[in-house]
This record gives sequence, structure tokens and C-alpha cells, in this order.
Amino acid sequence: MKKVAISGLGVISAAGQGISETLETFSSGRRNGGRVSLFPTALSYPVFEVKKIPAQWHKEGMRTLSLALCAVNGALRDAGLPDDLSRLKVGVCLGTTVASQLNDLDFYRAYRKTGKAPMEPVNRFLEGNLAEAVAHAFKVQGPSLTVVNACSSGADAIGAALSWLRNGICDIAIAGGADELNRVPLCGFGSLGIMSESFCAPFDRERSGLNLGEGAGVLILESDEICRQRGKTPIGYLAGYGIAADAYHLTAPHPEGKGLEAALRKALAEAGITPDEVCFVNAHGTATPDNDKVEGTLLARIFGPDIKVLSTKGYTGHTLGAAGGLEAAFTVAALREEWIPASIGFVHQDSEIPLAPVTEKTPTEKGYGVSTSLAFGGNNTALVFASAFSHRYKSRTSPPISHKDRSTV
Amino acid sequence: MEEDQAKDLAEVRKRVKELLVDNLSLEDIKVQDIRDDELLFGEEGLGLDSLDAVEIVVLLQRNFGLELKDIDQGRKIFYSIDTLARYIYENREGTVLKERL
Amino acid sequence: MYIAGIGIIFSRGRGIESFSHALQKGWKPPQFIEHASFSDKPIPLYAVDQEFIMDKAVLGKSRRADRFCKMAVLAAWDAVKDSGLSDVLLNGSMSPGEDAPSLGIIHATALGPHTTTFRFLDDILDYGEANVSPTAFSHSVHNAAASYIASVLDIRGPTITVSQFVFSFHQALLLAQSWLEEKRCDFVLVGSTDECGQVMEYICRQKLHIADDGRIKPFHFSASPEAVPGEGSVFFLMTQEKNLPAPARYGEVYEISLFDHQNEEDAPDICLIETDGMTGDETACRNDIIPGAYVAGYSPLFGSFMAGSGFQCAAAALMLKRQIRYACPVQDNPYGVNLCTATEPSEIRTIYSFRHCCGHKKAVIKLRR
Repeated sequence: MKKVAISGLGVISAAGQGISETLETFSSGRRNGGRVSLFPTALSYPVFEVKKIPAQWHKEGMRTLSLALCAVNGALRDAGLPDDLSRLKVGVCLGTTVASQLNDLDFYRAYRKTGKAPMEPVNRFLEGNLAEAVAHAFKVQGPSLTVVNACSSGADAIGAALSWLRNGICDIAIAGGADELNRVPLCGFGSLGIMSESFCAPFDRERSGLNLGEGAGVLILESDEICRQRGKTPIGYLAGYGIAADAYHLTAPHPEGKGLEAALRKALAEAGITPDEVCFVNAHGTATPDNDKVEGTLLARIFGPDIKVLSTKGYTGHTLGAAGGLEAAFTVAALREEWIPASIGFVHQDSEIPLAPVTEKTPTEKGYGVSTSLAFGGNNTALVFASAFSHRYKSRTSPPISHKDRSTV
Repeated sequence: MEEDQAKDLAEVRKRVKELLVDNLSLEDIKVQDIRDDELLFGEEGLGLDSLDAVEIVVLLQRNFGLELKDIDQGRKIFYSIDTLARYIYENREGTVLKERL
Repeated sequence: MYIAGIGIIFSRGRGIESFSHALQKGWKPPQFIEHASFSDKPIPLYAVDQEFIMDKAVLGKSRRADRFCKMAVLAAWDAVKDSGLSDVLLNGSMSPGEDAPSLGIIHATALGPHTTTFRFLDDILDYGEANVSPTAFSHSVHNAAASYIASVLDIRGPTITVSQFVFSFHQALLLAQSWLEEKRCDFVLVGSTDECGQVMEYICRQKLHIADDGRIKPFHFSASPEAVPGEGSVFFLMTQEKNLPAPARYGEVYEISLFDHQNEEDAPDICLIETDGMTGDETACRNDIIPGAYVAGYSPLFGSFMAGSGFQCAAAALMLKRQIRYACPVQDNPYGVNLCTATEPSEIRTIYSFRHCCGHKKAVIKLRR
């Protein structure tokens, strides 16, 4: 199987624009959250907004796309790639939730009231399809895919890009996710009763729900060969991807984390490693009672109760379709920097969760890091990343999947 | 007096059953087939789940002006048709009063 | 990869037999829907009748599912049933010691469950931000349908929903091929679903040229073509397994080309042209016709869709399996192209299915027996 390198990272969230600003926020333990300022609302839940999007990437009324363009640009710069990608075999695979819906309240209010409505919001929606718009902006000629897998969209976009690269559908892939803070999910998550009135506390006994956030996280993936040919040293590697459905419930995770376990085992098998080779897990850790109990219990069972675990949601909020992209970028950065930040918000051990996340900036070794995502709809995703200088990571020649007798059907 | 109370409570139970059938897409269940002491969750009851529970919170708010925030309190109230109806019966008066003020 | 089963739900029924029947019977006018915003002009729509999406046996545990989800679940279910492999794939009836084959889902949609999204916006406007329905919210996300498919069919493999306006179905097929190549799963249900609610009818009327006579004319190759919106769902059971039982032998998708495609090779037996008025200027589509091939387009049977290439693909698969060339439902032919004008048995080895967008982008799905 082709070895897939990571050559660039691009992030924007409440924790900062670019990896170095973000790591500085992580290091200081700052939480840049507060009340909603992007639109008037009666809801008082704290949120994590991006305070400034560079003017160059600002598109009026298309905030998700603006965030995505900013992160993609950052990742391309980091990877040493040009703005014009038309001469390369590039694909774009991005996840989102908000940008995929025609949910403009003013448009709909006008339509309901008068039976007529302006077409500008519709045009913005049609022009704002994330992968198509990013492909257009950077003159990408290869495949483009917008993944709408709810909260695992960003992670699954990275997984889909991995499949493209392994199958030679493109040489380089822009992959990740983006989402804006929007009234519709704010009201929706509020109605589900899973948002906290205070800053979120992932895995804490007193946790009372999630905070919404916004942002974009993007990786540049490329075949190791192409990356080296153009004189670029990889930052790290994407070693494995696992995705599995719970087939259980639309909004609740499987109580034993069945799908998450299958996703994790598949991702580890693809990477060709055992759980004890994993240095740390960047957990989904939304701080809802259900998610953290199911996820924490399963992570302890697979990796042991002493595994170094963190959730970065305390710094960024839950950025929905961007979460998988941002957390993938954070995981790769942590492997490079050899430390993970404190899992901010955690104070009290929960007797029902047999592990505790790290409470301070913690050194890690070179090796493997895992990022998990759980989504509405019962989808579960795990990504395994490897350090660039890990001696242990070597490409496997064939996928380590149990071979099935194909004559059975 | 007690007779009036029992009558009112029966009215609320009927209203609760109607609300659940209409709003939770309980396609195969008829209002008249639901017992007063029918459990809301689990296979032996109406088979409702966590998503229905949060939907009932919204129904209480929209129809009776009742705001339910405490999950532990919710568990007891959402036990059966009867417990839910009693909660509404005992608390909606306060709401009406508030509206008048 | 091979097509092992097809499930379809569209304006004229549910199941591949209904589709085959429609192909044989030819064109029928769409419904004309009265719309409050256009009192003088009803909107033609190939709408899916409510009765086609009622199936207690399949949807019994999906009481909350909306119309969009139900269409997708039924099409996915029917695709597995159609293959004759449901015992193996759904019930896991394997010989002792054998693993059941794994099954994945890739669902494409252009517009998602927008009627539920608008229902949720109704809640915000009518009841306020803090008093909205969590059920409506959780069903307004695009991947709700895939979640229902996974639950109803008990599929625990990879599940992904994709949403694009340009070539959604093609991108889904391309990913399915990658999954099968890398053995991520043994079978993939690839499908696309779209619905057309009242607000979308309004948008269609504003953004498209609507064919007020209800006839999509695929071979006019017009710069401002006319559309008749459609809705429905189509799913394909795809696999690399060659030894399939007879009902599951539709043929092979051997190439999905999304970029810089050249018509360099031998002519296929049939060129399918998806000119349905949905994606703007269709003048360039005439260049897709390869000399020596028959030309066909079946959009007038099911309507115009952004993510509707699956319906065209289903027609291609059916022609390969049955070795029948179906007459084009609307045969207006101002350029005198070599149309399939009659339904007749024919030796069909290869079919190319073309889709254009915005005048210059092009995608091709190549199928063979």
C-alpha cells in the first residue's frame, strides 16, 4: 500500500490562525470563548468564535467557505505548493455540515411571508459548495468531494482522500473540514439539551454538555514519493483510517461504543500497529454526558487506563464538520512537537469513566497518535498518524485486513 | 372537589396521549389504546427513546409553558403517562398565574 | 466493479421492474403542481407519490424518518433484495467459519432533506430559538438517511454521505471503486437521493427554464435548455466479486472519468446523454456523440436532477442485463442524431453515460456487459 505523507497543515479556530498561534494558545491554556457576537440571539450558551478572518479570504455571506479558504491557503503555503494547482494532479475533499444546507433564515422568512424571496442566498448556497468552491479558487483539476457526515465529516474527508491517494486517483489531496458558527445548529443542539451554559469540561464528572465553535482544519496529503521528489520533507504520515456505523440510533452513540471500536481496530490494523504503540489519543471528547462516557470507557478498554488522552474541544468548542480536520492537524502537530496540551476543562475524575485526560502540557514520544470522531447518525471514525521520524513506521505492502473467502457469494 | 380534580387529571392524561401520538410519529398506536399507567420508555411501554424525551421537553414548553431543565427530575416525570400528566396538572396552574400577572 | 443490484424509487413507482416498465411504456406527462407564488403557472414535477414510500415491513422501525430518508432506505433495501444476496448480506447466513461479507454505504445528494430543514426553520420562526424540535433538527442533517439505511439494513461498515451540485453521483462511484480496490469493504451501496419540496419548486422556477409543456427535450442541445424537476432515489449494490448469481449480473462499471476525457477509443454501442436542463448550456453535449453509436437519453421519464446520473446509469445497467435497447421517451431530434427510436432486442456490449455541467465540465461513466 502506498505510503501517504502529510506535507502541510492549515488551521483557523478560536484557538488561533495557523499552527504556531494555536500551539501558543494551547501552551498558555487560554480559552477564547464567550457569548455569540456573530448574530443577535436570545441564547446565552458560550461559544468559540473566530474573531478575525483575513480580508483576503473573506467572502460575504459565505463564512464557512471563508474559513476553509483561509485554512487551505495556510496548508498549501506550509506544503510549499503554489496558488495555482492546475498543473498538478490534485484532489479536494472537505467536510462540512452548515455549508451543505440552504438554511438562510432571512430568505425563508421572506418566502413564507410573501411567497417570494431574493435569489442571492440561493446563489451563495449554490456557489458555496465547499469542495467545489475550494477547487475553483485554487484551480484544482482533479476530484472534489464534499463530505457531509455530521460531526465526523472532517475526519472522513481525510479518510476519503487517503483512499484516492492509495488508488492513484490524485497525487496530492487537500483534505479536512470547515464549519461556521450558525444559528441553526446553535438552536438545534440547544433543543437536544446537550449544550453547556458554561465552558465545556470534557471527561469531567461535572460535565454538562458541549460548546459550539467554528473553524477549519486542513491537511495536505500526498504520496511519499511525490513529496520527496519535489524536495519536501513530510511533517508526518497518515497511517490508517477506520470508519464504521453503529447501526443503532440517529442521535445517541452505541452504549458500548461498538462502531467506534470497529473503526479504531480497523485504523490500527491499517497502520499495522497494536494499541500499545499509540502514544496519545486526541479524543472526540465533546463533554456531553453520553459521548465522553462511551468514548472514555472504550479508549480505556482498548489502550489501557494510562493512555495519554486529551480533548481539544475546550480550546476550540465543537466545530462540527471542521472538528475532524482541526483535530487531525493538532494530532500531527503534537507528534512533530512531541507534546500535547492540557485537556482544558477537566478537573474531577468521573467514576464511570476509567481514565482521566492529561491536565497539563505533557511530553510525548515520536511514534503514533490517534484522532477519533463520533457523529450524529451513529458514524465513528478513527485516524492513525505517524511521526515523520518514527523508525517504526514503515509502509506495508498489503492491507492487513482479514482475508475473506470471496467465493462465498 | 376531589371529583373535579380527578376529571381534570383525566383530561390532562388524554391531552398528553394525543400530544405524544401526534408529535412523536407513533404511527401504529391509537390514543384509546394507551393505558393511563403506560410506561413511556422501553419495550414494555410505548418504546420511546432519548430523542423522544427531548422532544417531550419541547412539547411541555410549547403546550403548557413548562420549562424542564433538570434531567434527574425529568426521569421521574417521564416515567409513565400518569406521572407526566400529574406533573403537568400540578405545575401548569403556576404558569397560568404567571401569564395573568 | 460490478453492479449486483439496483433499487429505485421515482415518479412512476418503486423497484427495478417499475423502472423497466416505464422504459418500455415511454413518456408520460409529469404532475402539474399549483404553487401559491405562481398562481397562473403550475409547476411540472415528476413527484414521488406517497403510496410508493409506504412499506411497514421495511420502515416499521423508522417511525420518525422523513420522506427523504424513506426514499433512500427503500431504494437501498431494494438494491440488496434485487441482487438475490440479501440472505448473505443482511442475514449473515454463512457457512460455519466464514465471515459475512462487509457492506458499506456511499450516499450522494445535491439538496439533502431540505423540507425538514425548512420545517426546522419554521420552528425557529414560529416558536423561537429555544423552543425548536430536536427531532426536526436531527433529521435536517444530510447523513440522517444513511443512518437510517445502516439501522434498517443493520450495516456496520463504512458509511459516508456526500453532497455536491456537480457530479455528486460520479464522485460517489469513484470513492466506491477506491473502497473496493483497497478492500475497505466487499460490497458498497452507492446511491443518490433528492426531493423537491415546495420551496425548491419556487427556486427551480426562479433559477431554471421550466418546460411548461412538461417535456424535457434531451436532443435539442440548447443554450438555454428546459427542465422538469424530478425526485427520487436510486441505489446500486457494487462489488468486485465476479461470481454473482444470475439476478445480480447487470454488468460492469469499468471507468469513471471526471477530468479531461477524450473520445479517442472505439465507439460504444450506446451513448447516453444526460441533458435535462439542470446544469445550463447544453450545446457542447452534442460533441459527446461518438459516430457509429446509438444515442439515448431517459431524463424525460424521471425528471431533471442535479445528482440524478444514477437514474441514467440504472437505464444503462438494465439495457446491458436484458440486452434491450429502449426507445427514447422524447424523440424531438432537430440535429438528426442516431437516436434509439424503438424498443428492441439488441446486442449491447458497452454504454457510455455522459453528463455535462456549466458548459465545459464533463463526466463519463463507462459500462460494459
